Amino acid sequence: MSAGPVFRGTPPGPRDGPKRGPLFWGSAAAGWALILWGVRGALHHRIDTRPGQLARFLIGGALAHDLVLAPLVLLAGTALARTVGGRWRAPAQAALLVSGTLLLFTYPALRGYARALHNPTSLPHDYAANLALVVGVVVVVSAAAALVSASRR
Amino acid sequence: MVRSSGLTDLVGRYTTDPDLPLRQHAYQSPLRDERVAAWLGAALGILFTTCFATGLFSHLHQHPLSWLPVPARPAGLYRFTQGLHVASGIASLPVLVAKLWVVWPRFVSFPPGRRIADAVERLGILALVTGGIFMVFSGVANIAQWYPWRFSFTAAHYWTAWVTIGGLLAHLGAKAPITGRALRHRKSRPALAEADPVLGTGAEGRHDGLDRRGFLRTVAAASGVLTLTTVGQTLPGLRRLALLAPRDPADRPVNRSARNAGVLESAASPAYRLRVEGRVATPLTLAIDEVRALPAQHADLPIACVEGWSYSARWTGVRLRDLLQMAGAHPGAAVHVESLEEHSPYRVSVVNHLQAHDPDTLLATHLDGEPLSPDHGAPLRLIGPDRPGVNQTKWVTRVVVL
Repeated sequence: MSAGPVFRGTPPGPRDGPKRGPLFWGSAAAGWALILWGVRGALHHRIDTRPGQLARFLIGGALAHDLVLAPLVLLAGTALARTVGGRWRAPAQAALLVSGTLLLFTYPALRGYARALHNPTSLPHDYAANLALVVGVVVVVSAAAALVSASRR
Repeated sequence: MVRSSGLTDLVGRYTTDPDLPLRQHAYQSPLRDERVAAWLGAALGILFTTCFATGLFSHLHQHPLSWLPVPARPAGLYRFTQGLHVASGIASLPVLVAKLWVVWPRFVSFPPGRRIADAVERLGILALVTGGIFMVFSGVANIAQWYPWRFSFTAAHYWTAWVTIGGLLAHLGAKAPITGRALRHRKSRPALAEADPVLGTGAEGRHDGLDRRGFLRTVAAASGVLTLTTVGQTLPGLRRLALLAPRDPADRPVNRSARNAGVLESAASPAYRLRVEGRVATPLTLAIDEVRALPAQHADLPIACVEGWSYSARWTGVRLRDLLQMAGAHPGAAVHVESLEEHSPYRVSVVNHLQAHDPDTLLATHLDGEPLSPDHGAPLRLIGPDRPGVNQTKWVTRVVVL
């Protein structure tokens, strides 16, 4: 996020990467056995898992991260680095990160998808108000932490 | 080998070299370094493993194995394991997002690999990343009762868990040397600039904004805030802080209402009967008043939903083992308990011999001294120690002795 020395030219370091020993191949074999067990199970129980749709969700989730969330985070980080400097940048980044993950978690409750089920005990709170309250506390605590650390210097 | 050309220069500008954590000119941040990645990876590994182990336990409850009967005690075990499952999953959300951000340049590295080992590693990472994102997303959506899919959540979540944990295991072996080096005590690990001249020099210089330690603390804080604002759905001491939890245990929540289960009429009908059948000497057919006339017992038991919320309550009703004795079932019998509900995977639950003969396993008529409401399973619901909420069958109409 911060401007630093720009590296150009051939990167140093070993060209062949780290050595791959028995630990790598042993855990790869065990890990792939579990992966294939999972894939087999998903295909075998296809009436429940609907493998085609499940695959779309798996790939879609990764694409949503790479094409939507990650660029948004990069943009937010860049914008923040350009607008907020000095001792306020760290607390601003911290508050943004915490609030962002709170928003991600609360999204389904904010949209109120559960209301379609007409279950009065689902989503009992006003999530927009509660999220605003929690984010407010996060912002105040971040600012207070910045002031405290500044006064110590 | 990739030949230099306008195209590869262009590709090179936006991708990274697989042998380095990143090319500084493409993705500059002092936070993208292997120590941060190692700490986040270790945290995520612990959280995902906790989710996997507690998830397996929940699966065993819902898909019982005859050779591995789940014990009825401690009564609050499932409440603890499933509360931990959901809390660990929620806490892993910021860690997963941060970890993916730190290693993101790796995903766009070019060329993708030079050896078979690279391909094996990257495919394993694909399983871990796609699986991990799906597990956290589907879990968070499910507890908020958001179902943007048509597959069975439990089946998809369960089988993808194996893919994810397999990817994690493979990744653990591939990264163990790097993680071990990065997490070693400060004195015995190389300086960053020494381990990686390109990255380390930039990372250890002065800059505005979060440093690595601050970044890790922030991720921990994000997990902490999410935990504090949700875990009160199962921990009574933190109930007032559970501002973002999808359920409030003080409301005595239910997962499925009588209306949604389609039992409003049949549960209130005068024709309602409880039948005890199967391998019994005397099959029983009892009207609800006859059940209520039997000796009532109390049990203080938690109801613990697979969605991670729980509450403890006082249940009143007839002991299952007393009914089995009345019907002349052999001691040590396991039973199926069936609901009036017709179209649900949870219409029938298995009560193994340990649970069926536990003195606290009741067919309850009252909750906290009040007659059960239709949503809570009136006229009769099963309640027993150490069972998932979905197996505490509501609107019970038939007990089949196996």
